[in-house]
Amino acid sequence: DALLGCHRSYRSRPTHGIGKFKYLLPKEIPKRRKEKVQMKEISAGTEYQYGDINIQMTSYDLGLVEHFAQYVHRLCNRLSIQVNESYAMPTKTNEVLFLEERGSKMQLDAVLTTHQRVVQIRGLSSTFAPILLEIIQSSQPEGVHLLMKQHTEADFKSRLKSRPELEELLAEMS
Amino acid sequence: RRRIRLFGAMCLLRLPRITQPLEKEEEEVAALMQQIELEKSHYSDHEIRKLEEEEQLKRSKESSYDEDDARGKTVILAQDLEEKWEQKFLQFKAAPRITDADKSNDRTSLNRKLDSNLMLLVKQKIGNQELWLLPQVEWQPGETLRSTAERAMATFLGDHIQAKVLGNAPYGIYKYKFPRAIRTENNVGAKVFFFKAFLQSSDLSQAELKADHLWVTKKELGDYLQSEYLKKVNRFLLD
Repeated sequence: DALLGCHRSYRSRPTHGIGKFKYLLPKEIPKRRKEKVQMKEISAGTEYQYGDINIQMTSYDLGLVEHFAQYVHRLCNRLSIQVNESYAMPTKTNEVLFLEERGSKMQLDAVLTTHQRVVQIRGLSSTFAPILLEIIQSSQPEGVHLLMKQHTEADFKSRLKSRPELEELLAEMS
Repeated sequence: RRRIRLFGAMCLLRLPRITQPLEKEEEEVAALMQQIELEKSHYSDHEIRKLEEEEQLKRSKESSYDEDDARGKTVILAQDLEEKWEQKFLQFKAAPRITDADKSNDRTSLNRKLDSNLMLLVKQKIGNQELWLLPQVEWQPGETLRSTAERAMATFLGDHIQAKVLGNAPYGIYKYKFPRAIRTENNVGAKVFFFKAFLQSSDLSQAELKADHLWVTKKELGDYLQSEYLKKVNRFLLD
C-alpha cells in the first residue's frame, strides 16, 4: 500500500498545481538570432540630426587604442550623446619581411598586429558635431588613426562571419 | 535699409603634428606605470628563448655537453638578433621636433610649433586703420555666410586650398559700431561671423596674394589682435 500510494493532486482537488512557480518569474523575450539594422533619422529644418555614426580607431598599439576608445565612450556619456554600441573589429596580422641583398640574403621578419575599435553614436546634432570632432581630434594620441563615418549595412555585415556551406546550399537550391 | 554690415571671417587652423611634451608629474606617473607593468608582466617568447640559450651556454661550458649539435636549432642566437635590432635602431634618425627654433621665430612659415594649433592672421585695411585680423570679406545678399567665409579664405590664399570647413553654423560673432565720424544712415555698425576650418595639406605652394600674413598660436594672438576682438575670438578656440 505504501508503494501504491501516490500524492498526485487531481484537477478537482484544491491543491492542484501547488508546485507551480514559473508564473511568478519575469517573462523572458525569446532571443532573436539576427539583429536588424537600425534606420536613420534626418529631421529637416535647422535641427539637423545625424543618424548612426561610427568612430573607428585603428592602431598597432593595443593598449593605446583601447584606452582611447574608453576615453571617447566616456566623453560621449558626459556629453549625454547616446552610444549604441562600442565593439572591436577582428585584428589583422601583417608579416613584414625585409629582403636585404648584401652578399648574403637575410630575411628579417616583423609581425605587426592592427587593432580596430568602433564606437557607434546616435543622435548627434549638426551644430554640435564639429565641436565633438575637434575635441576628439585634438586629443588623439600618436599612432592612432581616426575615422568618422556613417553607419551602413555593409559595415554591419563586415562584422558577421560568412557561412560557405549555407551559401553553397542556397546556390544549389536556386 | 540695412544699417549693419555683415562680414564672414575664416579661422584657418593647422592641426598639431606632434604631441605636446609631458609635464613633470605626467612623466613621473608614466615612468611609475611602466615599471609596475614591467614587474607584473610575464616573459615573452623572445626572452624565454634568450634565457634558455644562456643556460645552454653555461651548461656546455661547465660540463662540455654536446647539446648544440644534437639540437641544431640555435643557428641564430637570440642575443645576436637583439644586437642586430639595436644597430638598426641606432641607424634610425627621427625628424627634429623643434623646427621653429631653427627658423628663429619666423612667424610666416607653417613649420613652426608642431605641437600646437596655428591660425592664419592677415593684415586688412578697415576704415582708416590697418589691422591684423582673421581674413574676412563682406557678405553679399544671396549667399550663405559659410560661402562668404570660404571666399575670404580663397581671396587670401588662392583657390586650391584643401581645407575642411567645420559645419554650417558660425562659431563666434563680433559686433562693433563705427566711430561717429564715419556713421551714415545706412552704416551704423558691423557684425563679423567666425567660421572654423582645418587645413588638410600642409604645403601652400600657391602664391599668396597679400604678403602680410602670419601663422600664430593662441597665446601669441594677444600680440596682434585688439582686446575686444581677442576676447570674442578666444571664446571659440580650443587649445
